[in-house]
Amino acid sequence: MNIQTMFGRLMAVAVLLFVAASCDTTDNNDPELDLIPVNSVTVDGYTVSLESPKELEIGANYLYWKIKQGDNTITPQTFTITPMMDMATMSHSTPFEQPSADLLDDSYLSNLAVFIMPSGDMGSWTINFEFITQSGSEISGEMPVNVNSSWKIMNTEDDNGKKYFVTWFEPQRPMSGNNDLTFLVHTRETMMSFPAVSNAELVVFPYMDMGGGTGHSTPFTPPVSAGNGFYEGDINYSMSGLWTTTVELVVANDTLPEIVFEYSVIAK
Amino acid sequence: MKLLILFVSLLLFGAESVLAQQISVKVADRTTKEPIVQAHIKDGPNSVITVTDVSGIFSIDLSKYSHLTITAIGYASKNIRLQPDTDLIYLNSEIFRDQTELLVVANEESDQNVRAYHNRKANQGMDDFLDNIDGVSTTKRGAFGWEPAVRGQSDQRMNLVIDGMQIFKACVDKMDPITSYVESNNLSKLQIDKSGSGVAQNGTGVSTVNLITQKAEQSTTSFNLNTSYRVPDQYRTFSFAGNTADRSGKNAVRFSGSYKKADDFKAGDDQTIQNTQYEKLNLSVNYRHMFQSQHSIEASYITDKAYDIGYPALLMDATKALADIGQIKLNFAPSEMAFRFNTAQIYANGIRHSMDDYSRDVANRTVMRGMYMPMYGTTTTYGAKLNGAATLVNHQFDWFIDSYTSDAFGDMLMQSLDPSIQDMLIYNLDEVKTNNASLGFRHHIQFSDNVLMKVEESIRYKSLRTDSESHASFFQGLYGETPGTRSKFLLSGSGSLLWMLNNNWSFSGSLVYSERMGNHMELFGHYIYNYTDGFFYDGNPWLKTERSINTDVNATWETTGHSFSFTLFHKQYFNYIDGVLGIDSGSNDFRFKQYANVGDAVISGSELRAINDLGKMITLENRISYLYAHNQTLGEPLPLIPPLKGNTTLHLRRGNNMIMADLEWAAEQKRIAQISSLEDQTDAYGILNFTYERRWLDGDLTSTLSLNNILDHYYHTHTSIGNIPEAGRNLMISLSYKF
Repeated sequence: MNIQTMFGRLMAVAVLLFVAASCDTTDNNDPELDLIPVNSVTVDGYTVSLESPKELEIGANYLYWKIKQGDNTITPQTFTITPMMDMATMSHSTPFEQPSADLLDDSYLSNLAVFIMPSGDMGSWTINFEFITQSGSEISGEMPVNVNSSWKIMNTEDDNGKKYFVTWFEPQRPMSGNNDLTFLVHTRETMMSFPAVSNAELVVFPYMDMGGGTGHSTPFTPPVSAGNGFYEGDINYSMSGLWTTTVELVVANDTLPEIVFEYSVIAK
Repeated sequence: MKLLILFVSLLLFGAESVLAQQISVKVADRTTKEPIVQAHIKDGPNSVITVTDVSGIFSIDLSKYSHLTITAIGYASKNIRLQPDTDLIYLNSEIFRDQTELLVVANEESDQNVRAYHNRKANQGMDDFLDNIDGVSTTKRGAFGWEPAVRGQSDQRMNLVIDGMQIFKACVDKMDPITSYVESNNLSKLQIDKSGSGVAQNGTGVSTVNLITQKAEQSTTSFNLNTSYRVPDQYRTFSFAGNTADRSGKNAVRFSGSYKKADDFKAGDDQTIQNTQYEKLNLSVNYRHMFQSQHSIEASYITDKAYDIGYPALLMDATKALADIGQIKLNFAPSEMAFRFNTAQIYANGIRHSMDDYSRDVANRTVMRGMYMPMYGTTTTYGAKLNGAATLVNHQFDWFIDSYTSDAFGDMLMQSLDPSIQDMLIYNLDEVKTNNASLGFRHHIQFSDNVLMKVEESIRYKSLRTDSESHASFFQGLYGETPGTRSKFLLSGSGSLLWMLNNNWSFSGSLVYSERMGNHMELFGHYIYNYTDGFFYDGNPWLKTERSINTDVNATWETTGHSFSFTLFHKQYFNYIDGVLGIDSGSNDFRFKQYANVGDAVISGSELRAINDLGKMITLENRISYLYAHNQTLGEPLPLIPPLKGNTTLHLRRGNNMIMADLEWAAEQKRIAQISSLEDQTDAYGILNFTYERRWLDGDLTSTLSLNNILDHYYHTHTSIGNIPEAGRNLMISLSYKF
């Protein structure tokens, strides 16, 4: 075999190896819940555990509940919660939904809760829960939880003193590039009732102050109501750093005082 | 006694024949098989041993000269190790000298040949050299890293390669053209294909500059030292180059190195231009092994390190520009097989480029005030090239396979002087991958002894993507669609015709069709700052293919002492890729454009070159080039197009002395881009340069005295970004010694 023939064969092998190596081997795994424990209490032999994707903080939080009797996870007939902030002289609740079977993992019950203030000297949070087992037993208890501060919720109020809570729902970790931009809006009717507001208009403006009197915005799609208090748009952060997003809430043609979210955008 | 005399005679003649091993070898054209007359047979760069006769044959003593270099006008030179049975050597023709210019830059061809394109001055840098070629201009941002442009097309619209290797600049602000990563002592010649007609090899059909590196020679040991000093910018350089081979000639090594450093230069009228300093180190080595079978293998490595490079036209300076360029190449021996290989090459290169403005007064500047902006960019490229020839149904053609994969990254950190402001970071390019594979064919069709046609075609597959989800999401946010992998099949083709009317006149013409996909910055660049218009550019992964048709015609008249060449060309672009106004950021400091297909554009022009021997000692060279470039959609000129410009050079040689007087001039440029760029008009200028060169010690030592811009004229070229002026009067002394 002369060197040209040998080289030709080597090239053919190289091409085959290249083609083989170029095949797409992307692994598309199903999404899985990645949760950390928050707290658990045991009442009448039933252990109620609360887990969450992150430590609880003011703003929107997904809560994942699991009820066990011994080592067995049980599915109750009903399960309801009531978050309560005890401020010594008064108490109040916060915007939240009732738990239901989780779509990704039906061993959990999950719900969304928006904490409007952090735990601390001002008061502490407790989540009261009640459930009825398949055998009809009614179980209730309370679970203290710690809620950290964050930048993800601000409030404003109208001329009548009616309070509106604007929650930064997405992105939870703002990152350079395109992000879903979602706000949640609730109002306070009573200390126990915080209904969602779906008929408002949000006027937002992202801005980066670069110091020295210079700064700039970035491309974004203004959020519009998607129902149930959600307002959905997107934002394309051109760079990492400290950003502000100003939100003006327009309710019934009344523009409320603006609120400003200030947060860091990570590079990736 | 007679028997004794006969015996002694036989013994002596026999011994002589054994010692001499005189052989006769024919040199022929590989395509036509016709003998090549007057081919030079050399045992080194300058020493011609003999030439071929009318039958293309030369005779040589094999015991004295086993390793040879064979050169002939119109043919690629060839290094070969002779065997006792060697009787035929083929040379490959360098088709169409008017289309594929061969420029000798190594300054080792001492023959005074009017066909030689350019008489290069010793110690002239790459930038100066390129800037004085008709049809080539350079975009300047200071004293370093001038970006070459062929017929007004640069960067993504031309191929700039080293030994055919694809190398991507690392600076996202385009401060590091590939020419800045080599030195002239790395190179043996430049191949400039202005029309792009060599589509089989270049794969694209766009103008191509190929920097051919010096290779180890199977000749005796040689060494070369050069040093220069220039005032007033205190430019000092020292370089060396050496070549050695073992006794058998099977193994040869060439090595070179250079160091240069310059302070701020002075423009005319004694004005110091701040931030024009630079410092650079370059080392290269090439090893070649010749097999008994006439195959040879060579390995090359170039490392180039530049530091402290001032860019007065920019907001920042380069602190490091580092390149590592390596290749291994297998050269196959001539073969008569129907399908044969000529060369196989694998290569890898890495470029790293760091810039910052820590030495600038950022607190008081008007743009991007109050912050430092260090930038970093890197590219890594791996490639393989393979070419050969084949004969199919009595039709012979050359074939070329070219493939590479490249990875690009670039970011910019912004650090505010205000401690309350967080650092900001932009990824200009993040995990951006370019993959390319092309297959090209070249056919020679000889209609008659005087008429030769060349047809080339290429099909290319190119894909671009980013593997960074966050980077991809920028484009999803801008265009509402996930970019994924962008890929295209691209076709290019050319047809060229050469008509040698007689010994003096020749005419040639070419037609080139080219398809171009945007490059990695045009598709996946983010916040790419363009210094020519002050806009930040965002890429567009959905760019359509840019197409172009180029036509060239050339007439050349040559005699022994005179050469006259005139070229006209016209290039029509379709789906021309350029920036269009993008989103409003709400800030005057940040103005955005996005790449888009903006419509049609046209570039036309002409080049004239005349070289005349005025007697035995005097040669006059004139070069003039003109470009007309217009964005037909915007109705305005394309930016950075040089005006009518030229050189007139008078060489006077007598014995060991050479005097050269040079007039370098350009007309005013009033055709400026004001929509797509923010150009202003440029005044006409003319400068005078003078060089005196003398050879000593039988030519081993050469001294050169150069006085440039004698009248200390203050001027800038139209392609100088920020109107940074050129150097004023300067004096350089150079010494070169070889042994």
